[in-house]
Amino acid sequence: MAAQDFNILLATDSYKITHYKQYPPNVSKVYSYFECRRKRGGTQFSEIVFFGLQYLLKKYLSGRVITEEKIQEAKVFYQMHFRQTVFDEEGWRKVLEKYDGRLPIRIKAVPEGKIIPRGNVLFTVENTDPDFFWLTNYIETMLVQMWYPISVATISREFKKILAKHLKATSGSLEGLDFKLHDFGYRGVSSQESAALGGAAHLVNFCSTDTVAGLLMAQRYYGCPMAGFSMPAAEHSTIISWGRSREKEAFESMLDQFPTGPVSVVSDSYDIFKACRHIWGDKLKERVIERSEDSCLIIRPDSGDPAETLIEVIKILEECFGCSLNSQGFKVLPSYLRIIQGDGIDLNSVDEILEKLSDEGWSAENVFFGCGSALLQKLNRDTLNCAFKCSYVEINGKGMDVYKQPVTDPSKGSKRGLLSLRRNSDDFIETVERGVGKPEEDMLVIVFENGSIVQEYTLEEIRKNARLLEDYMAPSQHNQDEPKSLEPHQKHIMNGVH
Amino acid sequence: ITKQCFVIYVVHGLEYHVCQPISIQGSNHPFIIVINCICIISFQVTHYKQYPPNTTKVYSYFECRAKKTESTKIQKVKYDKTVFYGLQYILHKYLKGKVVTPQKITEAKEVYREHFQDDVFNEKGWEYILEKYDGHLPIEIKAVPEGSVIPRGNVLFTVESTDPECYWLTNWVETILVQIWYPITVATNSREQKKILARYLLETSGNQDKLEYKLHDFGYRGVSSQETAGIGASAHLVNFKGTDTVAGICVIKKYYGTKDPVPGFSVPAAEHSTITAWGKDHEKDAFEHIVRQFPNVPVSIVSDSYDIYNACEKIWGEDLRSLIESRSADAPLVIRPDSGDPLDTVLKVLEILGRKFCTTENSRGYKVLPPYIRVIQGDGVDINTLQEIVAGMKKHRWSIENVGFGSGGALLQKLTRDLLSCCFKCSFVVTNGLGLNVFKDPVADPNKRSKKGRLSLHRTPTGDFVTLEEGKGSLEENGPDLLHTVFRNGVILKTYTFDEVRDNAKIRDCDLEESVD
Repeated sequence: MAAQDFNILLATDSYKITHYKQYPPNVSKVYSYFECRRKRGGTQFSEIVFFGLQYLLKKYLSGRVITEEKIQEAKVFYQMHFRQTVFDEEGWRKVLEKYDGRLPIRIKAVPEGKIIPRGNVLFTVENTDPDFFWLTNYIETMLVQMWYPISVATISREFKKILAKHLKATSGSLEGLDFKLHDFGYRGVSSQESAALGGAAHLVNFCSTDTVAGLLMAQRYYGCPMAGFSMPAAEHSTIISWGRSREKEAFESMLDQFPTGPVSVVSDSYDIFKACRHIWGDKLKERVIERSEDSCLIIRPDSGDPAETLIEVIKILEECFGCSLNSQGFKVLPSYLRIIQGDGIDLNSVDEILEKLSDEGWSAENVFFGCGSALLQKLNRDTLNCAFKCSYVEINGKGMDVYKQPVTDPSKGSKRGLLSLRRNSDDFIETVERGVGKPEEDMLVIVFENGSIVQEYTLEEIRKNARLLEDYMAPSQHNQDEPKSLEPHQKHIMNGVH
Repeated sequence: ITKQCFVIYVVHGLEYHVCQPISIQGSNHPFIIVINCICIISFQVTHYKQYPPNTTKVYSYFECRAKKTESTKIQKVKYDKTVFYGLQYILHKYLKGKVVTPQKITEAKEVYREHFQDDVFNEKGWEYILEKYDGHLPIEIKAVPEGSVIPRGNVLFTVESTDPECYWLTNWVETILVQIWYPITVATNSREQKKILARYLLETSGNQDKLEYKLHDFGYRGVSSQETAGIGASAHLVNFKGTDTVAGICVIKKYYGTKDPVPGFSVPAAEHSTITAWGKDHEKDAFEHIVRQFPNVPVSIVSDSYDIYNACEKIWGEDLRSLIESRSADAPLVIRPDSGDPLDTVLKVLEILGRKFCTTENSRGYKVLPPYIRVIQGDGVDINTLQEIVAGMKKHRWSIENVGFGSGGALLQKLTRDLLSCCFKCSFVVTNGLGLNVFKDPVADPNKRSKKGRLSLHRTPTGDFVTLEEGKGSLEENGPDLLHTVFRNGVILKTYTFDEVRDNAKIRDCDLEESVD
């Protein structure tokens, strides 16, 4: 049930307080929808992962969300905030009286985890009682925050595609893919709540994280007891506190403290290259090679140009420890030794790094990645053009399709009428407008009605929905009339070319 | 070994390293120092510790690093100084009082066992805190006053453990404290925009009236969570008073307090649904209805649902003109474009309105629309486009009095920890009773070098700020330390009201001295 001290009346853009006075007279229904609009000119992200609605519903919208105390608190607040009386006290009291404080709203949504092409309806919102037409867009502000878990899950999955491509090409299998991208973003995100939500969104695609809040979110809202894993790892303070001349002692202590299981040691406090060559590769070499594959040492550079640093580090490690060739003919470090690059990682640099490694003959098996702000913070609502718009109203009992179509920006045009989502005869997902969609074909499912959550998903189901397909880019996931929306590497995969 | 106690480390009899003078706890006898060092070398390390054995204190600090080397991309805005804000929220919400209970320890132990597939959680450490301190955190935080505007590269707060058993606690709280990057960055970026607006407003009108309402927070829907909305919106209100992100006001009331009933205000405004719901052929009816609903306060009407220029020319400029002209200066119609190139759209809208409603020339020779009509640009506004728009308006002889701005994603979301290079680093430890200045200095990036030793912040005789390292700040000749103890052992010792924060962060004349063009 929704949080007790959270006041939904104070969780909206101020101006929405005044909208009940602005709709046409005798309006009895306002129906709105959410999409990740398509931007003209070739989108970078042509499909999205739908995730996060269940969290919002459980935390903020379900159950008894209106009380008399909350109405009074809001009334007093808005009086001061607007410097006049404009708050719709009566309207909210009716919600309290008629529905015991539960919201007379219906939300239909795509199942969580589903992969949907841009430009399609993802969920719709409408009032279920004519008296509460103003409620649909009152909750827009909160629902539009869906942009965040959708965007994190989508970007995280794009990382996975790149990693999968390189891993398959240089090693012949996808073993360990789920652990290739580690969430380092906890400190670089804007709040604890965002850390939890973003952290959970990443766990739709991967199983490695240091953002503990995300694990708890997945546990409490998506029924997964333990969604992600980590390993002991050093940070700079635990190395430099030994003193500049005792980096070797600090490193050795790490190996002593954590003799089994993988251990990651940040090695750039002073000079990453000397640390690799003289400490790991010489003074502590015996200690390193006695570690098993399950207890590998993972060296972490954390400064300098990511690709160049990585290449130089791997070359030094090759000199000191040797390497072998895998079934695809690519070089692999001994199984007790790996590298994790956790600085400066984003979609471009990951691709670039793995490309350069591959050019130099190195398998993607050698490297793990850690990503912080690019995964959880360097995103915004414009990344996937997320928007919520009214598409249909009923006035005097008569339905009318409505829309905006600004002459100054056609890409901001909105959909019209009642909407549904379906797979067409060519197996492409498309949105049907103007209420002509067939109910039996509609992929949108009622998830929330009159204060109750009527459909839930577990993280397990979500992960299944969001998995990469065998050939990564099955044609059914794209609209056929937009082959340009495939990025170059995706086309290569489809054609079997790398 | 000299009288000044330079420490010589003997490392397996092979190397000699002469270190800088350090503070020594327990004894000043030089001989004991050497004995202690030898003991470190042969010491057996125990479980859970990555810190050197017998570490009894870890001291760390937070700064917005200065960029010493030029980055490849040229940043238009320099962000030389930052606004320190948001620590009080973190202290109140997450760190004060009893933060550990037996249940939480048990929960954590189970979670971490699954998460690491191993028992690495420091259960004993947390049980110690529970027993000895009733779950209060034995750390001390010293910080610059909230709202202070401090140049980059200076210490902003320090954190140290107060109990030798809890040396590990300092960096345990790093993750949560580093999230202060967000309110600092929002407040700083918001203030830089205020400086731009102030300069151009002053230049084109001769005064700074209503400056605090010139940049309205539209960012509630574009942030990543409810909590972020509250923190970010409150940070913007350090500099301005107009907001639609209600959550920010709640944060201020709960964690800072103001003498006024509320620190932020808004006005009735339309959104697209309240216009389009009338139907495409009834935009005029929608406009008229809404304007009539709010006769005595400013009302903002989004006018680009179909054609912003037609709306300005025909509907506002002709059909509803007399209705608008009858409004008072306290209750203007504020027309809101919401698409198209921001500068082009603003200029074209002003041009149309200027033709339809006439303009007057103010004391500085710039055009002003009649007081009953204004414009708010709330789409695509960030610090760079803001600069472009006000510069473009000035060039076309339009006073900044005519416009207000709204900003959403750019104000509250399009920011990262890298913008101001916020980071938290260990600078001093005590091991075996010996203090040691520690730092990182990666060969591949001088920007990432950290400060050494105990730190303090001082004012120089010329009024600049300087961070003193290696404990030098304790010498009397350097003047008082501007860092105050705000938190110790679970208790908040010093708080700031939001009024104080605003006062510390206000724009001074020297901030406007940069030339307008």
